[in-house]
Amino acid sequence: MVGQQRAIRLVTIAIFSRGHVLIEGDVGVGKTTLLRAASRALGGDFARVEGTVDMMPTDILYHTDLGDDGRPRVGPSPLLRKAESISVFFFNEINRARPQVHSLLLRLMAERNVSAFDRDYAFPFLQVFADRNMVEREETFELPAAVRDRFLMEIAITAPKEDDIRRELAFDPKFGDVDALVSRVETGVFDYHAIPAVADLIQAEVSASSALQSYVLALWNGILRPGSVGASLDDADADTLVKGGASPRGLAFLVRAARVRAWLEGRDYLVPDDIREIFIEVLAHRIVVDPIHALRGDGIVKHLCRTVFDAVPAP
Amino acid sequence: MRGLSLVILLAVGVVPASAGDISVEVHSARPFGYFVGDLIHAEVEIRAPAGAVLSPATLPHPGTLSASLDLRNIYVEQARTNDGAVWRLDLTYQNFYVALDVRDVQIPAFTLTITTPSGVESHEVPVWRIGVAPLREVAPEKRENAEDYMRPDTAPITFSETRPQAAFAAFSTTALLGLVLIARDRAWPPFHMRRRRLFSALARRIRALTRVPENRQTVCAALMDIHRTLDACRGKSLLQEDLPTLLHAHPEFADLESSLNRFFSASRRLFFGRPEDTEAIDVTVGELARLSESLARRERVG
Repeated sequence: MVGQQRAIRLVTIAIFSRGHVLIEGDVGVGKTTLLRAASRALGGDFARVEGTVDMMPTDILYHTDLGDDGRPRVGPSPLLRKAESISVFFFNEINRARPQVHSLLLRLMAERNVSAFDRDYAFPFLQVFADRNMVEREETFELPAAVRDRFLMEIAITAPKEDDIRRELAFDPKFGDVDALVSRVETGVFDYHAIPAVADLIQAEVSASSALQSYVLALWNGILRPGSVGASLDDADADTLVKGGASPRGLAFLVRAARVRAWLEGRDYLVPDDIREIFIEVLAHRIVVDPIHALRGDGIVKHLCRTVFDAVPAP
Repeated sequence: MRGLSLVILLAVGVVPASAGDISVEVHSARPFGYFVGDLIHAEVEIRAPAGAVLSPATLPHPGTLSASLDLRNIYVEQARTNDGAVWRLDLTYQNFYVALDVRDVQIPAFTLTITTPSGVESHEVPVWRIGVAPLREVAPEKRENAEDYMRPDTAPITFSETRPQAAFAAFSTTALLGLVLIARDRAWPPFHMRRRRLFSALARRIRALTRVPENRQTVCAALMDIHRTLDACRGKSLLQEDLPTLLHAHPEFADLESSLNRFFSASRRLFFGRPEDTEAIDVTVGELARLSESLARRERVG
């Protein structure tokens, strides 16, 4: 991977936060390559599902084929077969799937298990990465707020802007063969079995001072009532813009991800820089804005987040 | 109208002090040109040493003074000056003399009693004259010289211009200075382009903190003050990871990068560190004062 340092950093934070990730990005920018590389580095299995309008939950759970005796058979899907060892599950174009599929995904993400063949399948090391098709509106089903809220963060992956990197991506043959490229990643760099324990240890050991807690609360108030911290937007009434979504769970995810970021920086305490580094990725996709501004996309929410950060002093 | 009348009053008689420092002056609007029924205004100014008392009983009473002259009204005003007491008697007479030719008539004298620390003294307000005339051709007393028919011009009043000029210069300078200070304070042109000297003010505040006994509160206050001033300099909240952005926008501070990093690291440990770290303060108000003065010096140069 070249030119995607920030995306790699955020995926690393998501892995050690044990959080699921929404990926936003155009086709062909390297989303699948990044996730396959992450899966290989962790040593776990990788599964990928393409969302389609006629997909049903059973398509994810069951596999049907004809047996040697010529009779149809129903068996566990590849996802179920790899339940104990899967570390990365990539759901491409999740918003093409119907709400029934979203419902299954909600349980998979929240409880890390599903029911099939009259028993529960546990996915102890599963992390879901889902891509949304933000270009087309036909035959798509917007993710419900409850599903969106289950994702730890939404990471934007865009094509690199630097000319030398673009030239390398276009002309270097190694970027044309994704399998060969992914195979160059050393496997099992970090054993995926250890991730839950490491994640718990990070959350237990990285401290948040009272000044940091006050700072996060001021940011939260600032998002809900920008006027209270002196923030304003040029093109919208900031105080009526946010209709919901900056939930306590969102703030808990924010602190969870920030602790991982502090740990990656070699600190055992949180600083405001940690919060800011992942604030937009963790909170922006949860925030519900006034319908009159919703069609403008997430740009206005990101702008609001930056404005609030600029207005809230630290410490 | 009374004020205007007083402006044009002319002195018609001065009685120098006959005893002590008491003086009496009589002023009248004009000494001629009165017709039957006209009111004649006069002001008698009496100056006396401090502690003198004018006996009100000796003042003339309104009423008939002669067959053709009445005193209509008298108004007494007393003022105190640095030198002593001043009384001003506003007297209003009315002339009933039906003149068949132009002639002078007398306004009668009267005596005032003034008690001073040295004793009781009497002072006479002297007789003074006015010219009355019929409504017919003027037939003045025959004079040798034609010019003698003319009243002499009133002597011009001369002032020394030195003091007013000095006062004008002083007040003009003060007003101009005040205007400059207000313009600077309100950032009116030409001061609207000048950047505020944030760090000079910060250095003064931190210097003041060095004069009080140092403890955790003073260190925290100094750190917070520097944070807020850096925020103001950037125009928005500044975190440690924004330092390269700030130094890019303000290259005059570039050589203080290590000091600023040390400041941010100390602030991080103190405000956000683990409880055991926040107990150990590894920065002093003196160091912060030196940092703020370095910032102020570069701000003045930049």
